[in-house]
Amino acid sequence: MIQFFRGAVSCVFLLLFCFVSPLHLVAAEGQEYIAIRKEGSGNIALVLDKLDAKGRKETNFAQSLDVTMRDGLDFTRLFSLISPPLNVKDNSDRKNIVINFPALTSVGAEVYAGGVVTMKSDMIILDMKVYEAAGSKLLMNKTYSGTEADLRSIGHAFCADIVQLLTGKRSVFGSRIVFVSNKTGFKEIYECEFDGYGVKPLTNSRSICMNPALSPDGKHLAYIDFISGRPTLYIRSLTGGRIAAVGKSAVSIDPGWRNNNEVAATLSFDGNQEIYLVNTDGTLSRRVTNSKSIDISPTFSPDGSKMAFVSSRNGLPQLFIQDLASGQVKRLTFSGRYNTQPSWSPVGDKIVYTTWEKGGEINIFTINADGSGLMQLTQKSGENKSPSWSPDGEMIVFTSNCQGKEKLYVMSSKGGNERLLLQVDGEQTQPSWSLFR
Amino acid sequence: MKKNIIIVLALMVTAGCSSKSAVTPDEGTSSQPSLSSSSSLPPSPSGYGFDQWQTGPLGDVFYDYDSATLSTEAQEQLTQNGGWLASHVSKAALIEGHCDERGTSEYNLALGDRRAASAKEYLVRFGVNPSRLETVSFGEERPFVQGSNEDAWAKNRRAHFVVK
Repeated sequence: MIQFFRGAVSCVFLLLFCFVSPLHLVAAEGQEYIAIRKEGSGNIALVLDKLDAKGRKETNFAQSLDVTMRDGLDFTRLFSLISPPLNVKDNSDRKNIVINFPALTSVGAEVYAGGVVTMKSDMIILDMKVYEAAGSKLLMNKTYSGTEADLRSIGHAFCADIVQLLTGKRSVFGSRIVFVSNKTGFKEIYECEFDGYGVKPLTNSRSICMNPALSPDGKHLAYIDFISGRPTLYIRSLTGGRIAAVGKSAVSIDPGWRNNNEVAATLSFDGNQEIYLVNTDGTLSRRVTNSKSIDISPTFSPDGSKMAFVSSRNGLPQLFIQDLASGQVKRLTFSGRYNTQPSWSPVGDKIVYTTWEKGGEINIFTINADGSGLMQLTQKSGENKSPSWSPDGEMIVFTSNCQGKEKLYVMSSKGGNERLLLQVDGEQTQPSWSLFR
Repeated sequence: MKKNIIIVLALMVTAGCSSKSAVTPDEGTSSQPSLSSSSSLPPSPSGYGFDQWQTGPLGDVFYDYDSATLSTEAQEQLTQNGGWLASHVSKAALIEGHCDERGTSEYNLALGDRRAASAKEYLVRFGVNPSRLETVSFGEERPFVQGSNEDAWAKNRRAHFVVK
């Protein structure tokens, strides 16, 4: 149904465009995405034109979508958004719109995106077109629809498509972040969308909740809760509402998902802090570590074959990598006296972690899984903790007290472009970005 | 010297406050000599393991930075606690491991677990039945003293005893 509709719109558009503007060469939409950018090149110079709409309702929705799409694209930091030149569109004949490509190239635009908002009963229909400015070539022509409640997801669906079109990669749109906030006076777990929108509480234990982590498919939330009097690992089904409790006889620390069915966490019921793999029903799958020291904070390579974790087996905490099949362990970090909070990139071989430095600062670093390529991402900004990768590996969410209270920030995975994620009372800590989107 | 100040502080607070939610005394008042006049108070445990947060029969023990090792003073306190437990066989104890605010919270939760475990292990070797001793860690989540200085940190690195 949707396919048919999209095709129909496409045909109408092509006919119309050829008729009105025979001078412009129009390329039909290809089935596969066209990645016209090379990785590592600068920001994409994009003109995101004001959406056209007729009628009061349509105009209101168009304005709302304009803001959502602009903010969404801005959030990715992949684009330089250029204001549309005044004469970008010629609609003097009141029926058809002709895009002035020379005007676009003269302001330095590489890509132009524009569209129309219409309504069909209660459905909002957004018809978007993306052109390469220099060749006036149509790169994408896609229709999105939904109700008023879907407005944000309609805008973000377009943002996701244009990012994938121009970079060849999936972006952050649709992903969520879970975190801890103490705004009620208790540390509870909350979630929000990737850009900090729509904060929702997930717990109301009036105790201490810590270290939330969503399973890769988003169906389960693992977290630590002191509600029983001791830190206990809980695995909550977000679809069925079932909750499994693990490790009631001792303490549980810092869960990290290996795949949709297994979460690893530290349990100390045998008298020592060891990492175990736990099934989503709360039963133990197997023990992973075996040392007389502290072993915590498991995080897995994208294929689940290797686990990075923190161990004090050599004295102060350092990062190690264990091969799950062979059990072989290798020390990863040698620089920094106190390295904790590892998070393995979902798209590659990088691990982000924090170093507690001599002067009291805590800073975020990345290192390759083979120990090469150490890079410092934060400096001279107080305590920066709990880094977690965006699902596309392009960004890192973390907590910082650089302005006093601990708040959530997002930065580029290469450092820089830091900005506050959300403005909520109290302190926000331990963010974890979902893999799904 | 430091030990004396802690004792004086403890006496002052036990004298002035009946609840646990006592405001942290400021350091200026702790050196006032007039505090020694508190001899009219009912006897309450004092010394190394006792302060405004520990007024029960079992004293707390304190740890060095990033350590769960028991100092001589800690061992003396645990021996004293073991004696009390030996003569009160119907009582059990919860040992809470605590850390200062520095470092990262996950690691501190593990460190607090080791602190509570080290205190329990000592008592078990002393002869207390392990079934009477429960341990838990609060990591850096429930500091006794607010503040970012060595005095506060030293007070927060402890195994805290709760009689059950």
